[in-house]
Amino acid sequence: MTERARALRKTILRMAHAGRDANLQSVFSSVEILRVLYDRILRFSPEAPADRDRFVLSKGQSTMGLLAILAEKGFIPEEELWTACGYDSRISMQADRTKLPFVEISAGSLGHGFPMAAGMALGNRIAGRPGRVFVLAGDGEMNEGTMWETALFAGSEALQRLTLIVDDNGSINEMLRMGDLEEKLSAFGFEAETVNGHDEDALYAAISRVGSAGPRAVIAKTVRGYGCRTLVEDRSWFHRAPTDEELTALLEEVDAYE
Amino acid sequence: MRKAMQAAVRETIEEYADTALLLIDIGAFPMRELLKKYPQRVKNIGIFEPGTIGVAAGLSLTGITPIVYGISPFIVQRSLEQLKLDFVYQNIGGNFITTGAAYDFSALGYSHYCPEDVATLRLLPGMEILTPGTPAQFDALFKACRFDGRPSYFRMTDHCNQTQVDVEFGRAAVLKRGSRATVIAVAEQLDATLEACAEADVTVLYYTTLAPFDAETLRREYTGGAVFVSAPLYAGSLFADIAAALDGEPVRLGGAEIPLEVLRTYGKKADKDAALGLDAKGIAERLGAFLAKA
Repeated sequence: MTERARALRKTILRMAHAGRDANLQSVFSSVEILRVLYDRILRFSPEAPADRDRFVLSKGQSTMGLLAILAEKGFIPEEELWTACGYDSRISMQADRTKLPFVEISAGSLGHGFPMAAGMALGNRIAGRPGRVFVLAGDGEMNEGTMWETALFAGSEALQRLTLIVDDNGSINEMLRMGDLEEKLSAFGFEAETVNGHDEDALYAAISRVGSAGPRAVIAKTVRGYGCRTLVEDRSWFHRAPTDEELTALLEEVDAYE
Repeated sequence: MRKAMQAAVRETIEEYADTALLLIDIGAFPMRELLKKYPQRVKNIGIFEPGTIGVAAGLSLTGITPIVYGISPFIVQRSLEQLKLDFVYQNIGGNFITTGAAYDFSALGYSHYCPEDVATLRLLPGMEILTPGTPAQFDALFKACRFDGRPSYFRMTDHCNQTQVDVEFGRAAVLKRGSRATVIAVAEQLDATLEACAEADVTVLYYTTLAPFDAETLRREYTGGAVFVSAPLYAGSLFADIAAALDGEPVRLGGAEIPLEVLRTYGKKADKDAALGLDAKGIAERLGAFLAKA
């Protein structure tokens, strides 16, 4: 784990503690993906010019990670992160784009971000803008019908500047048998590849590549709760926030994680 | 009305480069030239309504005004969460034009009916609900709303009124004044309603914008302590708006509307209207009984 990924996880833990609510396992599996996008790939600024690259968080559970990184980049004052989930706060577990204009979509219900991202890629094509559109989905979210409607559409339209990243943290293994996502998305017309979702260099190589003839799909194999031993091992952390003592212990675990 | 819709949509696409049309197969044939001329932004997208509404939202978020055309239940109900989250929650605009009305596709059965569209969509804050009754009314309402930054639902019908009324977005038209009740006529039910009210001492208001509901006109024209709704909608669809508009005034409510039932008959629209009491004769009988109770 890079030091920047470690620092982001610690900020997320503090947000969860302050907000008394979180989906920590689900956020932690996507930390390296967010790091690579915001540190190395996205052309993005607070003014949000029309030709920017857009990052669409379809998997809304990773919102705290997104907001933490936006604060680190100077879009949100850091102290505001500690107001998470407060009545009047702009910070929550599922972002609202009307409160944070540099957040591309309001998320929450699975299966919505990917269709909107495909529409953005089409919109950019119509307007002749160069911006790329990256969308982060979860493997559980890939059960939703709209995801496959969109896969059909994006493949059929050959939306080259659209990249679907699946945070494949094994959520659905306990539900239905999904088969091989790379194979499935390839069959829908995507240029798909599978990478280690906690290896930032591998993620960078896969996500930065533009499709040669169609949309891209990057299946990032991740571990729920990655970067903190208790979050990896203890399933009760799917939807829970740390107490004062737990926060101290979890922060130490993040520091100690190899 | 379909021809007026095609003309208005064609004009929009041709005049404004930042617009796009997504057809859900229906209506593709009359648009074939447009499909050929603007392949990037006029698409017969396929048959997946929820995903289509999501794609339309993405277009809107990049500054392209989307127009989606489909059959009412598949837009309103199959895609309800997309209208709510992808448009209302994101706070963006788009245009949703539907065909089918309450049961224009009478022979196809309940799957193709949508008498609940208004009752359903009025619970989406900011959603505009337009129910034109003539081609000219479609044109006026579409042009008033197409670029207003809000999601707009245009409910078309193949059974237009002969009565021509100039309409304005957000405003009910006053067609007749009387003293015993205020009658609200909606969409394709206007002709039959006027016929039914010919001898009655009532005020008749014609609503073609159902959301935002024109409370001001109703308050001003409210008479006889009674409101009678004549609408091709499930019964009571507008009662909450009427009660809210009257702001605490006591009101007796009634109407000639579609009963909340699974409609299992086929035949023509006129057959259903007659059976449900929504033709001129049926409306007159209901109105007579309603006035007699006062």
